[in-house]
Amino acid sequence: MSLKNILENWSHYRRAHEDGGHHEYEHMWGMAIDLNKCTGCNACSVACYAENNLPTVGKDRMRKGQGLHWLRMERYWDEPDLGGDEKEYQERGGSFLPMMCQQCNAATCEPVCPVAATYHTPDGLNAQVYNRCIGSRYCSNNCPYRLRYFNFYSYYEESWPEPLNMQLNPDLSVRDKGVMEKCTFCIQRIRTGKDAAQREGREVKDGDVVTACAQTCPTEAIVFGDLLDKDAQVTKLWKAQEVELGKTKQDKSNGELRGYRVLEGLNTDPCVMYMDRVREA
Amino acid sequence: MKRYYVMGLFSNFEEAFSTISEIRQHAIPGVSVDDVTLKSPIEHPEIEEILGDRGSPVPKFSLFGAIFGAIFGFLFLASAQANFLTQPQGGKAIITLPSNIVLSYEMLILFGVLSTVIGFMVNARLMTKRHPLYSEKVSLDQIGVMLELDEKNVDSLKELFKKHKVLEIREEVSL
Amino acid sequence: MQTKDINENIAWAKINEDVLRSMENPRMGYWVALAACVAMILCAVLAEIYQYQVGMGPSDLNWPHMWDLYIATFVFWIGMSHSGTLLSAILHIIQADWRKPIYRFAEAMTLFSLMTAGLFPIIHLGRVWNMYWVLPYVSDRGIWPNFRSPLVWDAFAITTYMTSSALFLFIGMIPDLAICRDNARGWRQKLYTVLSMGWQGDDRQWRHFRRLYLMMACFLIPLAVSVHSIVSADFAMSIMPGWHVTSFPPYFVAGALYSGCAAIITLFILLRYFFRFDEYMTIPIMEKTCKLTFAIAMVWTYLNLVEFAATWYGHDLVAKELLMQKFIGPYAPFFWAMLFLGSVLPFTFAFEKLRRHLPTMFVVSLFLNLGMWLERWMIVTPTLSLSHMPFAWDVMWPSMIQWAIVFGSFGWFGMLFLIFVKVFPAVSMYEVKEMVFHRRHYHNDELESKSHRREGDRQPADADPSPSREGA
Repeated sequence: MSLKNILENWSHYRRAHEDGGHHEYEHMWGMAIDLNKCTGCNACSVACYAENNLPTVGKDRMRKGQGLHWLRMERYWDEPDLGGDEKEYQERGGSFLPMMCQQCNAATCEPVCPVAATYHTPDGLNAQVYNRCIGSRYCSNNCPYRLRYFNFYSYYEESWPEPLNMQLNPDLSVRDKGVMEKCTFCIQRIRTGKDAAQREGREVKDGDVVTACAQTCPTEAIVFGDLLDKDAQVTKLWKAQEVELGKTKQDKSNGELRGYRVLEGLNTDPCVMYMDRVREA
Repeated sequence: MKRYYVMGLFSNFEEAFSTISEIRQHAIPGVSVDDVTLKSPIEHPEIEEILGDRGSPVPKFSLFGAIFGAIFGFLFLASAQANFLTQPQGGKAIITLPSNIVLSYEMLILFGVLSTVIGFMVNARLMTKRHPLYSEKVSLDQIGVMLELDEKNVDSLKELFKKHKVLEIREEVSL
Repeated sequence: MQTKDINENIAWAKINEDVLRSMENPRMGYWVALAACVAMILCAVLAEIYQYQVGMGPSDLNWPHMWDLYIATFVFWIGMSHSGTLLSAILHIIQADWRKPIYRFAEAMTLFSLMTAGLFPIIHLGRVWNMYWVLPYVSDRGIWPNFRSPLVWDAFAITTYMTSSALFLFIGMIPDLAICRDNARGWRQKLYTVLSMGWQGDDRQWRHFRRLYLMMACFLIPLAVSVHSIVSADFAMSIMPGWHVTSFPPYFVAGALYSGCAAIITLFILLRYFFRFDEYMTIPIMEKTCKLTFAIAMVWTYLNLVEFAATWYGHDLVAKELLMQKFIGPYAPFFWAMLFLGSVLPFTFAFEKLRRHLPTMFVVSLFLNLGMWLERWMIVTPTLSLSHMPFAWDVMWPSMIQWAIVFGSFGWFGMLFLIFVKVFPAVSMYEVKEMVFHRRHYHNDELESKSHRREGDRQPADADPSPSREGA
């Protein structure tokens, strides 16, 4: 009975993120991105479009801001009045920041969804349920990274004229108008990896699952893996940079440490670590 | 013995009130102020001094409705959340007190209001037929004093009404 | 100078007659107004059909501007709904009887602006056809709405508010519906017989009615405050700079009462003019409403300043930058207009000559409402245009689709209101009678005129030294 359920499990149901939360996490998928290696070539973004059935919306709609780019390459220039010294060759001071959904453990997009269309999976992922979404777009408004994109039109009608529709990835759906979507850490690949491991009767090991962006990156700047797996490369990188889940501020006194998570001061607890670009002074 | 309904219509409200006062002071033996029904186009809070405090259970309906709404609201929300474990969201707990307090508060008011309105309809005997002596002048500007009484008292009551400048007297045999 | 709220010697039959007259035989102007409203609604319906078919794209909403006019106008209409509660519940509890001639249409305004506001969250959904998923119903799949979301709180709060204010309006109208029943013929008589629910003015009915009215008022005041606090939670519960502001709930409530009062003044003047309610909607009542509006305007101004100061000294860099951009950024003209219309213009109410001059007040009240609409827009949009990630900075101007739907919402409100004034009494007859009755007994002419008289005014002539004895 419900009342009995509430009373018996009260303390369990009252555990928030800072007390360890309700989940016993099976995995905690995370990333480490080395900005030293990133050349801003946008291959990851292209791979993402191909892997996740992202529609190409055309110049006009893109300019209007109605495009979908789960993984976007943010470019920032060193402006002369912000300390950059090259007036003529500003691009020499350019820096790149590949931004995909940060899969926050205390995600701000989740609690505001009125219909529970976005929730936290036992894999530590921030899942978006397209079927449940009613398109209130509150989640996108409340994402400090602005990493959620909305289907303003039925893009599928025009994005893949014959025979391009043959190249769609059958492992995941094509979204219709009115739903929100975002980077899933290639959840279809995670599913495949887990299924394969289960068939072989073993645990998922590092390297079983690689996201499309990590696979494509020519400089191997993106490393993907399970943060709960002690031997995973990504865990080692996080440890080396002394970045931990649940911490809201990085100790910057050691100059060797370059790791940070974007906007971690907001206590969203993201699962993507970036390593600062080191430049000549 | 036949019982009669007698209603006098007054234009001057003070005269009507003093009629009731006299009935209260037993001007007519055997007729009590409890038999008096006042029909008025407006509300008279001061009339209770004359008619006696007849009380109203409507606030009790409000209280119980509100308490029910708050408790039901909270339990409903908490049990819904406790049965829907795929929504531990944004690092919040499964049963979140701040949101449930806000929503229980709304339920408190909703059920309080509904229960108050039901209490009013039941107690004021709405949705029943109008009394045969009801006069349309009551909804305009006259005040009616109606009594249910024995046949023998009808004449003395009419006398009393006339003493207070009644405009019109209506009567009807009670069944 | 007219100093009395109402002429207490007015005959009760005349009250009935005047109000009932306003309900019958619509003139040509009425049908023209109704047709105009329906035409406005058609604009919105066409826009909505197009948007429904194609998606949210044509509204020019974009990333990061996921919300714009729809939500701003939603907040605007919700805000306007607070005036009816203010006039009927708060002024009832503090026993300000000047509310009596004007509260009925204010309550109707509450209900109709809620009915308008309720459309916007539906219109703005990407998948309108699934909107019922927000409601907590038992589903076979065991899925519930997310009770943490302020949007679900909105659904609860608006449902509760709409139910309660509709009941409040209806219950308060029962004695008047009985009057209508006694005077009507044909279909109207049938309608009013059902609606008046056998009201016959018994002392029992009045006694319970009084308790009921008090209890409802006690429920509605905290409800109204909570409703707009919850609407403010849509913004305040989020993490975005410019939305994540602690003072938002009182700020929204003040803004709501403000725009509601301004709308009351507008409708007050329109009803007074078209239905010749000069004797009920008198200049002194208008003046009191203006004073109330002025007081609320100053509260709103103060809360604005609090927000600026808190942001400035709070030293959250992003929020501070956003505040600066509100003053000098692309939306600055609207922001300045909002500050001017919201904080400077109400000073017209400080002058007695102006706040007794109906044409001035009509224009001013329209501009105040414009200012309050801009306020809501300036809450929603600048935050979206400038947030934590510089890459997502953008300036967006709404398309004609959005404007058409906002435009149509005024037609919808107007249509509901026009139907209301012809079907239901727009002035509470029984309460005007009560007011008149009590004034005859307790009113002190001399005190009243003294409080309004200043040096240089002519002495008021004693018009009628012998008050009527009717109904007294």
